[in-house]
Amino acid sequence: MSTVLATLAGICALGAAGLLPVLVTVGLRWYAVPLAPLAGAVAASLAATASLTFGGPLLDWFIGIAVLAAGAVCGLLVVRPDLGLRAEAPRRRGRGRGRAVDRVAGVVGFLVVVLACIWSLRGLRTPTVGFDARSLWVMRPGWFLHSHAQLLVDLRARNLVLTQSAYPPLLSASVAVAWRITGIHTARLGVTMVAVLDACALAAAALAVVQAGRTVAARVSRAWLPLAAGIAVAALLVVVAAGITEPFLTNGYADPLWSLAAVGAVAFGLQLRSGPSTRAAAVILVLVAGMTKNEGFVTAVALVVLVAARSIGIAGLRGARRRLVTPLVLAGCELAALAWWPVLMKAIHARGATSTFSASQDLANRTDAVAHGFSPYLHVLVLAVPLAVLGGIALRGVRRRVELGNDLWAWLALATGLVAVASALVTGNGAIGPWLLSTAHRITEYPAVEGWWIVGLWAVVAAAGLAGPTAPDGVAAADPTGAPVAVDDPTSDGPAVDDPAVDGLVGAPR
Amino acid sequence: MTVVSALVAGIALVALGGQAVRGARTVDVQLAPRTVHDAAVDDAFYACIDTQAHSLVRPDQPVTLGGTNLADVVTMIKGFGSWLTVADPASTAQVTLTLHDGPGGPGTCLGTTVVATSRGPGGRTVVRVGTGAQVPGQGPPPAPPL
Repeated sequence: MSTVLATLAGICALGAAGLLPVLVTVGLRWYAVPLAPLAGAVAASLAATASLTFGGPLLDWFIGIAVLAAGAVCGLLVVRPDLGLRAEAPRRRGRGRGRAVDRVAGVVGFLVVVLACIWSLRGLRTPTVGFDARSLWVMRPGWFLHSHAQLLVDLRARNLVLTQSAYPPLLSASVAVAWRITGIHTARLGVTMVAVLDACALAAAALAVVQAGRTVAARVSRAWLPLAAGIAVAALLVVVAAGITEPFLTNGYADPLWSLAAVGAVAFGLQLRSGPSTRAAAVILVLVAGMTKNEGFVTAVALVVLVAARSIGIAGLRGARRRLVTPLVLAGCELAALAWWPVLMKAIHARGATSTFSASQDLANRTDAVAHGFSPYLHVLVLAVPLAVLGGIALRGVRRRVELGNDLWAWLALATGLVAVASALVTGNGAIGPWLLSTAHRITEYPAVEGWWIVGLWAVVAAAGLAGPTAPDGVAAADPTGAPVAVDDPTSDGPAVDDPAVDGLVGAPR
Repeated sequence: MTVVSALVAGIALVALGGQAVRGARTVDVQLAPRTVHDAAVDDAFYACIDTQAHSLVRPDQPVTLGGTNLADVVTMIKGFGSWLTVADPASTAQVTLTLHDGPGGPGTCLGTTVVATSRGPGGRTVVRVGTGAQVPGQGPPPAPPL
């Protein structure tokens, strides 16, 4: 079997595991396509953790968890048949050519993003395997296929020296599943699997921008403007993100996956109109980010808190219990899933999880070094900050009317990720110079890409500003051909974030 | 409103377009002949020491990675760490694997060979050298980006 076929088989296995849970929670959306393999990767990560916790082969756990998840969502459909597959928006009122234009935009946006992602993976033609990839990410899958006793030895033996082997398991577990089902145990297959998962995360994040354009288009006069802007911006963002994350996008490193998944989580959870479908997408992407690497874990925890805070909103703080409970329960479940692996690493005294931390005393110099080390990779902020200030002052009303999230949420998410990574460098006791030289490019991928997503979303908002006055709520606006367009988001499935009926992933009965 | 919208959209799209061109060029570097050559040499080197290690130990045989050079231990982990049965404690290992770095020549991987040391009958030390693959030239392989 060739590497291409083996990669296809591995991704299909992950996609099959994630398909049903994604279809039920996210719905029949274009962005559900890249989310299915990512949800399968989360299942693989949980399988690896369960295998290490309780014993038993990884593949058995993977199949068991996939079946359990499928059973759970089927059970949910029995209990709550109103949820359906989220295929039909309950308040969809668009008709005629307006709805058709939206659907065509969805198809075109999906195809453009997929083609841009495939083109961005052309670096795979060179069979590069990165240093960390070979020493950890696509080496460790073999450990997950060992016996339980040997896996414990692999993670604990001090003479194996690599402390990074305690890093979260998602990438290695996903590759292990591919190795196991294809029988091909090569670093090359590991790299191609990781690259395709990277592309899935990138596609999901870009499709969030297409989705933003479609959401906005339903609320303006000339719908074609935000639709076209959403598609064009999404395509450009894919190429931009590929440039920022190369060569690590195609050499097996974990940094692109957690960074792109975190960017997608911010887009779905904090930038798009809040609804059950987008929140489900955000949950999957948060779990991917947090189960991929330690930096992703810290960022994911922050994102869980921010998404929950947005879902709860002011109404929840004022005591609307329904709006408080579900986001908190959901956040608790996410945090428990994220924490399982690191807690387990502590419990088994894994290498790298039990070292004592001694903070550096030279904080001022290290802070200065980190600021200088990061700055060459964060030039996007020189553009994004003034653009966001200008947009926040002049286009705030447009942004609110088209029901995209407040830009401050995205900036908070960017800042927490940046501060988390910078803090580790500032307070760590490794030599700061070499540390920065070898990592600054990779660990700034998330804030750099997030900065461009903020810029892209403002472009979509600006297109909405150019597209004419917002139609009054509930009144159909005209599409470019003059036909009426749905005022409700034709691809979302819930009321706006300000609607107190929205209280979590599952949403309120409608 | 319209002017600001046009300004914001224009700036954002121009900046995204410029950065996209830059990004495409960055990706193209991966296809440069030098990058392709370095990747091929790197792959050949690690495939070579993997084959040599397979010629010395079985996957189920408890081994330890020896030597005083940390870089060699990391190289061995990169080459064949995924399938080795690592002994813990190291004293229970049947075989100690090390790398021997010397001049490039037949039977070496860019001058490196995998060496297995074990206790034979009567307690005498048995040293075997890995076989089955070679890569001409002198190591180390080109350093990949960190």
